[in-house]
Parts: sequence; structure tokens; C-alpha cells
Amino acid sequence: MTAKKENAKRLGIYLLTVSLFVLLFFVFRKPMNKSSTVFFILYYCLFSFSPAIASLITRAVTKEGFRDMKLHLNLDGNFKWYLLAFGLPLTVFSARILLPVLISGHSDWLGGFTFQNVLASVFILAALSAVQSIGLLGEELGWRGYMNRKMEPLFGTVGTCLIGGIMWSLWHLPMDLGGWLDGEGTFSDVLQICGERMLLLTCFGTFLMWLTKKTDSVFPAAAAHFMFNQSQEALGGLLSQGNIPENADLGAIATVFEYVPVVLLAAVFMGLLLREKKKSPKTA
Amino acid sequence: MTGFVFKEWKQNRWFILSMILCGALPAVFFLEKDIFNDINVLRIFGMISAFLVAGGLQTMVLMGDDRRLWGYWVTSTSEGYKGFLRVKYEMVFGMVLLFLFSLQTVDSLICAAAADIGITEIRDISIIMIPLAFLQILLRAVDIPFTLRYGNKKGSLIKLIYSLVFAIILSVIILTNICNSSVILFDAFKKLFTGDHLSLLFGVFAVSVLVIYYLSYRISCRIYLKGVEQYDR
Repeated sequence: MTAKKENAKRLGIYLLTVSLFVLLFFVFRKPMNKSSTVFFILYYCLFSFSPAIASLITRAVTKEGFRDMKLHLNLDGNFKWYLLAFGLPLTVFSARILLPVLISGHSDWLGGFTFQNVLASVFILAALSAVQSIGLLGEELGWRGYMNRKMEPLFGTVGTCLIGGIMWSLWHLPMDLGGWLDGEGTFSDVLQICGERMLLLTCFGTFLMWLTKKTDSVFPAAAAHFMFNQSQEALGGLLSQGNIPENADLGAIATVFEYVPVVLLAAVFMGLLLREKKKSPKTA
Repeated sequence: MTGFVFKEWKQNRWFILSMILCGALPAVFFLEKDIFNDINVLRIFGMISAFLVAGGLQTMVLMGDDRRLWGYWVTSTSEGYKGFLRVKYEMVFGMVLLFLFSLQTVDSLICAAAADIGITEIRDISIIMIPLAFLQILLRAVDIPFTLRYGNKKGSLIKLIYSLVFAIILSVIILTNICNSSVILFDAFKKLFTGDHLSLLFGVFAVSVLVIYYLSYRISCRIYLKGVEQYDR
């Protein structure tokens, strides 16, 4: 079997296994709605680790072995990339949330952003990203540590970023569909959420892919993923301390800034990925 | 580097895996739930016990390497003793993370089960759990250099002596009120532990702990060879 066919087979098994975990969400929807314990076991213990579990199953089934799982920290010479994994998501989300408020002349809404509050948030996020991001290995071992590496020889770098991002966001589909299946909201709301998530994750996935390739480790990607999740929460918390009117609406500018920083991020790191690919020696 | 990782795994795998069991320790206390009426008290008691047991087990991975021949051999490898110490530090840090992750998972499971049987007064104990995890990292940052410098048995004893001397000096300063120090200290603590400063205080503490852990590695690198000379053959 050629290397490409072997990769395709492994990728197929991996995606099939992840899909089976996604199905669990629909099959056990009723017991999950009834019991917090069932929800916790299926969602936190199985579903959120499904990409890592699927990669382990695929490695075992295809006899690929468990070497080169990118589980070394590789801190030597890579500490700056760890710092980038911490700082860049925070910067992107700050731009995404704060710039539209500042540009539209509502700086009085940012009362919660005192020097002390911002410093405390940055310190807490920095410290927590070091001890709490271990949980996100459940995703990163699968998406960046396995799927992307199998996709790249098949679809190229741009294709991997696009298809990988779409797969990553489709995996979140049960969460998007959950409310609609329980009779809350409309299907068009679900489609909108799904589309927004797809754009956001595809763009951010490019940065995570670059980070994993640059450091040859999944840990910086896990830290960046943690920061991606927590920055929004921390910034939202600070924003909620300000005097924002209940019917506040920034209009089109907020929509633009929701995507512009993350699209720019994707463009920069896509460029870097392509440049590094060009530089790397070609193998047969 | 992979060789050192393999060596640590072969030598300490049961201690590493025991971190998962330590995280599950609070669940065991639910077998004797009649002792406490309050589920939150039970969770906190279980959590503190788990931290104590896990802390003890984490120090045990430092045992067994205080041999002079091992020290000489490891220095002659391509990675040198610095590579060996780095893997040791990474392993201990990883053990703390594994323990914390297991503890949080089990605690969330307990909360979910409690919610299912209609218990509503469940409190968030991560406000205690996370600082304790950082405290554990800080304690390991102190333990490791002492063990490497003086060996396992002597290291514990010397650390105890240093801790006692530190406690005595602090008590004397507070009790004798030299230069009005107790009042200054009390005011400073009162100011720091008010709601406004608490999150900043925790943030600074947590980041400082990470920096101290790194500095501890650097100190260990400097003192390791001195320690090797004093080890038994």
C-alpha cells in the first residue's frame, strides 16, 4: 500500500471513530437531559476526549504504534512559542471585543478594565494555562497531533487548514444542535451558530497547526486552545463590570471586528506555513 | 531525553499512576458520609486528604537516585545531568497536573451525582483546589533541591531544620514586635486579603510559583554535582 493510501485509510478510521463518539450525543440525548451524571460521563469524560481516544484507537487498529505522538514538551528553544500560545489568543480576543467598543466611542463601557483587574486577569490566565490546559490534550492529541498530519500529505497545507477546521467545527455540532432538538430556537439559528464557529475555528486552527509544527509538540496548541476558550470568558467578565446599557448594540462594526482579527491571524500563519513548507527539503 | 523519560516511567510508573487514584480519594469518603452532614465539608475534607497523600507520593519519585555512581554516569551521558534533572522536574510537574485533573474530574462527578439526587447546595471548591495545587508545586520546588543536594534522608532532615529556623525567626519577629513589624505585617495582610486585591494576589502568587519552580530547576543544576560527591556509593 502506498504512503498516501495508508494515510487515507488511517484518516478514514480516525474520522469514523470520532463520528461514532458524536453519535453518542444523539443516541443518549434523553438520558443525558435527565441525569447530570450521565451528561457528565458522556460529555466530559468521553466526548471531550474523543479526538484523543480516536487517535489512540486508530494507532492501535492500524498497527501504527504510539511513537511520535508529539507528547514531548520541547521547551528548548521553543519557550517563545509557548509565550506566543499564551499571548496571541488573548490579543486577538482583546482586539475582537475591545476595538469595536473603542472605535464606536463607548470607552465609558470599559469601567471594569482597571489596571489592577487587567493585571490580575493576565496573571491568572497565565498561571492557569500552565496547569489547566492538560484537559485540552483530549482534543489537541487528535486534531493537531494526528488528523492534520494525516491530512497534509493528502490535501496539502491549505486544504488541511480548511478541511481540518471544518471537521473540528463539525465535531461541535451536537452542542449547536442541542438547544434546537430540545425545542429552543430555530434551525436557522443553529446554522448561523454553526457557520460562525466554522469560520472562527478554521482560522484559529491554522495558528494551532503552525504552532504544533513549529514546536513539534501538542502542548503549545493545548495552551493556546485553553487561552482561546478562557480569554473570551475573562474579557467578558471584565466587560460585564462596566456600565453597558441593556439594549447596547454596536451594529455592523461589532460584526466586522468579530471576524477580522481572527481572519488576519489565519492569513499570517497560513503564509508562514506555506513559507516553511517551501523551505523544508522535499522527500520522495 | 527519551531514555530519561523511559527510565523515569519504568522506575516511577506506579507513583505516576497513583496520582489518578489520589484524585479519586474524595469519592472514598462518601462511603462514610454519615461523619459529615454537609456534602461541601465532605468534599473539602476529601480534597485536603487527597492533596496530602498525593504530596507524599510525589516526593517518593525523588528516592533511589541518590547514588554516587548514578550521578557520575548520568553526568557522562550526552544530555548530561541537566537533561536528567529536567525530566525529573517535568515529571513531578506532570504528576501535579495529573492529580489536579483527576481531582477535578472526580469532584465534578460527585457534584453531578449529588445534583441527580436533589442536593442543591453544592459550592464551587475550585477556589481552594487551584491555590492548593500551586502550593503543592511550590513545596516540590523546595523539596527537590534539598533532596538532590543532601540525598533523600539527610535532605528531609535539613529541610525540616531550615523550616523550623524560619518559623522560629518569624515567631520571634512577630512576638517581640521589632520595629513595629507585627502591626505592619497585620496591616499588609489585612489590605491584601480584602476582596479587591484577592484575585491579583492569587495571580501574582500563581505566576511566582511557576517562576520559583523554574528557578528551583536552575538551583538544582548548580548544586547537583556537589550533592553527588556526598552520596553513598
